[in-house]
Parts: sequence; C-alpha cells; structure tokens
Amino acid sequence: MELKIDDRKKIAFPRISHYNYAIKYIVEQGLAADYVLLPPATRKTMELGSKYSPDYACAPFKHTLGSLIEALEAGADILVETGGLCRLDAYGELQEEILRELGYQFEFINLAEYMGQKKSSWLKLAKRLTPKMNPARMFTGAYEGVKMAEYMDEIEALYYQNAGLEVQPGSFKKVYRKFLLQMQTAENRREIRDAYQNAKQQMEDLELKLPEHTIRIGIVGEYFTVMDQHSNQFLQEKLVGLGASVYRFLNVTNCHFRAKEPALRPRIDEYVRFNMGTTTTWTLNAALDYAKQGFDGIIHVKSFGCTPEMDAIPVLQNISKDYHIPILYLSYDLQESDTGLDTRLEAFYDMLERKKKILR
Amino acid sequence: MKKKAYLGIDIGSISTKGVIIDENNTFLAESYLWTEGNPIEATKKVLRALKEQFDADAYQITASGTTGSARKLVGSMIKAQVVKNEITAHAVGTTTLHPDVRTILEIGGQDSKIICVENAVAVDYAMNTLCAAGTGAFLSSQAHRLGVEVEEFGEIALKAKKAAPIAARCTVFAESDLVHKLQVGCPKDEIIAGLCKAVVGNYLNNVAKGKKITPPVVFQGGVSKNAGVVHMFEKELGMPVLVDEKGHLMGAFGIAVLAGEEQKESAFSFDVAKMDFKTREVTCGKCANHCEIICVYQDGKLIDSWGNRCDNGAVHQ
Repeated sequence: MELKIDDRKKIAFPRISHYNYAIKYIVEQGLAADYVLLPPATRKTMELGSKYSPDYACAPFKHTLGSLIEALEAGADILVETGGLCRLDAYGELQEEILRELGYQFEFINLAEYMGQKKSSWLKLAKRLTPKMNPARMFTGAYEGVKMAEYMDEIEALYYQNAGLEVQPGSFKKVYRKFLLQMQTAENRREIRDAYQNAKQQMEDLELKLPEHTIRIGIVGEYFTVMDQHSNQFLQEKLVGLGASVYRFLNVTNCHFRAKEPALRPRIDEYVRFNMGTTTTWTLNAALDYAKQGFDGIIHVKSFGCTPEMDAIPVLQNISKDYHIPILYLSYDLQESDTGLDTRLEAFYDMLERKKKILR
Repeated sequence: MKKKAYLGIDIGSISTKGVIIDENNTFLAESYLWTEGNPIEATKKVLRALKEQFDADAYQITASGTTGSARKLVGSMIKAQVVKNEITAHAVGTTTLHPDVRTILEIGGQDSKIICVENAVAVDYAMNTLCAAGTGAFLSSQAHRLGVEVEEFGEIALKAKKAAPIAARCTVFAESDLVHKLQVGCPKDEIIAGLCKAVVGNYLNNVAKGKKITPPVVFQGGVSKNAGVVHMFEKELGMPVLVDEKGHLMGAFGIAVLAGEEQKESAFSFDVAKMDFKTREVTCGKCANHCEIICVYQDGKLIDSWGNRCDNGAVHQ
C-alpha cells in the first residue's frame, strides 16, 4: 500500500562528488520540492550504467545513467540531466531515450536545452517544477546552495592538502565526514555557515607533522572523473594514504563561479592559442601553475576516450619537459580492480619521494 | 659473527625470481622459474633453490622484500620488511648496478614500462594501460601459433632478411595480419622478425610516447632475452641498447637492495618453505560494493587479509 504523506514531485540528479547536497538544498529550500538523495555509488551503479549504455560511451555517461536508474528505483518522478561543451551535451537526450525504452515513467528535464537561454526560460522551468514557486525564496535557496558548494569545495581542498600529513591518523577524516553530514542535513543558511566555520577551525587546529620532504601532487583532468571519487577509484584518498599533500584546482567553485575560460587562457598562451574545449584550459592552467610552484608531480585523469582531455596530453607533455615535472596519465573506464591503480600510484609516489630525498 | 645478507623475491605473472645479496650488493644466490599460476608454490621452490646455493654458515639473512604482482601475498607469507611495486624495484635495482643509466626499457610477461633516470634516480615513468599488446604474453601466444618455442624467437628473427609488416597496435589485429601473412606463404623467419618489430613499434608508440629516450639505455624484463627485439630496438632508436645478463633478476635485486636500506631487521628462516599456506577469497556482503577480501592462512591460522574498501569489511585476526 502506498502511503502518501507528501504529494510533491520528487526530483533527482545524477551523483557527482559531494555536490548532490547542494543540489538537494536548492531543490528543497529554493523550489520547495522533494529531492531523492542517493546513497554513495557502489559497484551495482556501475553495472547498471554500463549494462544499458552504448559500449563506446564515456565512463561518466555510464556512471550517471546508473545513478538515474537507481534514482527511479528509489521513487524519483523528475530526472534532471545537465549539458556541457562535449559529448555531455548529448547525455540527456540519449539517457532519456534509454530510460523510456526500459519502461520507466518519469518526467525528464534536460538542462542542455536551457543552456544559453534567457533567464525567463529558466524561471519557466522552475515554475514547471513547482507551480506555487516563490521567486524570492528560489533565489535565496539557489544563492545559499551555491555558497554551500563553495564551502564544500574549500573544506574538501583543505582535507586533501593536509590529511596526508596528519599526526593522529584519521583526525582529518573525522572532521570532514562530520562536515559532509551537516551539509547533507542543513536546512538554512546558519546551519551551513556554522558547520563550515567549525570544520575549518577544527582542521586548522589539527596537528600536522611536516616531514623534511613533503610530496605535493597536483591533480588535473576531465571534469567528472577528476571530481567524482567513485569514478576515479578514490584517487586522492589513496594519495593521502601514501602521505602526499594533494591539490586540485578543478572543482565547481573554480570552474563555474570564479575562473572564466577567457581570463585563464592568457596565462597559458605560451602553450595554447585557442580554447580546446570543455575543461582543457583549466587542466592546462592548473598544470602549468603546479609546475611553476615547484610541485613534485602531476596526475592527469580522464575517462577513456575523452577527446578534449586527450588533446591536452601533448601540451602537458611539453609542460612536463619544460618544467621537468613528471606527469602520470590515468585513463578510466569501468574497472573492477584497484590493483593496477595502486601499483601505479605507489610507484609514482615512491619515485617522487626518492627523487626528492636524493637529488635535493 | 655472520655477515648480513638480504633476500628479494619478485613474483610476476609468468615467472618468479629470487636473489640473495650481501651488503655490497653482490649476488650470493639466485633463482628463476615459472610461476605457473601458483605464486605460493613458486615462492617455495625459489626459496628451496636459494637455500641450496646459500652459505648459511657465513651469512644470515636479516631483511627480505617482495615485489611483482603477488608481492602482497608472498610478502605476508615470508613476513617481508619491504613490500613494494615492481616499478620502484626495477628502478632501484638497475640504478644500483648501472649508476650512469638514463633510460630503462622493460617488457615483462603482461606489462611494459619505461623509466627515465637522472643522476641515478628515477624521475619519470610510464606503464602500459588497458591492454597487454606487445608484451611477453603476446609473443608466447604467437610462438605457439607458429609452432616455435618462444626462446628461439630471437635467433630466428636475426636470420631473417627482412621483417614482414605486422600491425603493432593491437594483439587481435596483429594476429589477423599474421594469419594473412602465413596464408600467402611468407617465410616464418620474416614473420617472426615482423613480430619482434611490432613489439618494439607498439612499445615506442604507446608506453614510451612523449618520453625522451636518452642513452645509455638498459633493456630488461623477460622479453629482453629475445635478441630479435633487442636488435629492433637498436635499429629504431639508433643507439646501443644494453641487456644485462642479470636483467631478468633486476626486480628481485632491487627489492633486496631496498630491504637492505630498511632499518628494520629480523632474522629470516627458510622454514617458510615447509609451511602450509592457503588463501581464501571472501565476498563481503555488507554493501553493494561486494569487495573481494583475500584471507591468507598459515597452517590453518589467519595471518593477513586485504581487499576491503572500507572498515566494514575489515577482517579481525
């Protein structure tokens, strides 16, 4: 028997890193609609996604399709998929068709259709989601959601930069986990801000052991795979486990709210003269920045067959040569085992550590 | 007092290697044999072979290390002080024996890698991704098809007048090229030379892509025993390629050196070879990740486990 305690439509968005908490906040607080928050992705998500995806679709397509199927199974009524500057723009259309063929009943909102449109059409979309929408509430909700994403990015960066150097094993993780839980349940601006302030303060107070040679590694690469830890097999977590201090420029804050592509490109004009698409400018700018700052190594992450990031590789090789910085290239499909990645990361870290110990 | 010695074991997908060295990195004992899909048995055999060559009256093994794809399993089996990946081991081994080396090419049974070295320290490396095209496994499967022993490949290839063109990119395509060449009556030695060339082409276009190959170059791994491939490398690179006679033992040697560098010391006993080791694979049912947890038992007692991605799957001893 179905119990109807809430007749609001339930909205779902594919999993991507920790951003679903912010999306949930915008949907629930801004649109006053319901949001289906999925538990962390598992192997099952991947299996579902790849089972119904075209074989040559990139890995993020399979991950997001798996998420959408799980969301439908969890009772979502409205699915939202985004668009972008590469194959991502075709995700929505294709995924809707696949899901309809599977026999699911749902409403589908493909944001690719709204990108580059006037604000009025976005407002119309919000009205469609919640007919009794209150524009003031929506803007506040959206603003606070964006703030939450920014805070999460900042705390995440602090975590990966410092956790590898902690004195008390697991001390950073504890603060970070608690913070994410608070973001998941936050219902107003004060809760978000307090949790952020607490987490930041606590992380700054934690004791660090600064070894003689701290190994700093910069992560660059394709938008989805580089941010979503389940897709990159917890790459940053593994590096932290080895004792590295890990930096990643590419996150939603830097990518969408701050650094604009035309502003970044002049900084890499020594290497590229035009925009190569999607996140390549961010990748190259960050890589060059890490090289100039004297990082020990860079790891380039992409899904298998990601064309824009493939184009970035020859440029990265030039940066690697000019600045004498090793770059490890990782290409992800839907792997089952972590062994290959563990071996490569351990070897990369060992190499950087040995190099630093002996050459300096 | 007995002199110190270090043990290194490299358990690869195809072969298992073991060495014992003294404090001056001189070889005291060495062994090389096939893994045959059973790393525990292979390690025991290697240990028995090492024990025969080893002078237990003059030396005492004070530290041991394992590397290769079964390093973790064998590491907990022999209670190794150092368990490290094969890339580090190879780099350390080669730079210890050849301090002036600048580039290390390595083609093993299922993987291939390149290590760039400066001032006797590895500064960059790359490893094959996704597929095993152009590795030892590819050569031995093709040898089987041609009815030739893979050990004879090098000699035959060197006798060929020219190398038949064979696609280097993918094993499957290479195989259809090969069948085609056979069907049109191309001589076998030219095909074999073509295969050696394909391995080199594949290596330089994939693994070594974007890496500067600076002499002196050292080539190692099982495939380095194939003179045909060595010849093709020299031709393609236009520089001499050195193959160390101990090249196949370099991983084991490197990990022994690392074990010696390690400060932790504990006496190693060859009795391990007599003990009974079993592994069991358990699928964790606590979430949908279904991690496969490997449990290692020594004489029926659990000594180690790994494979869980989160604490829920931790096995308590």
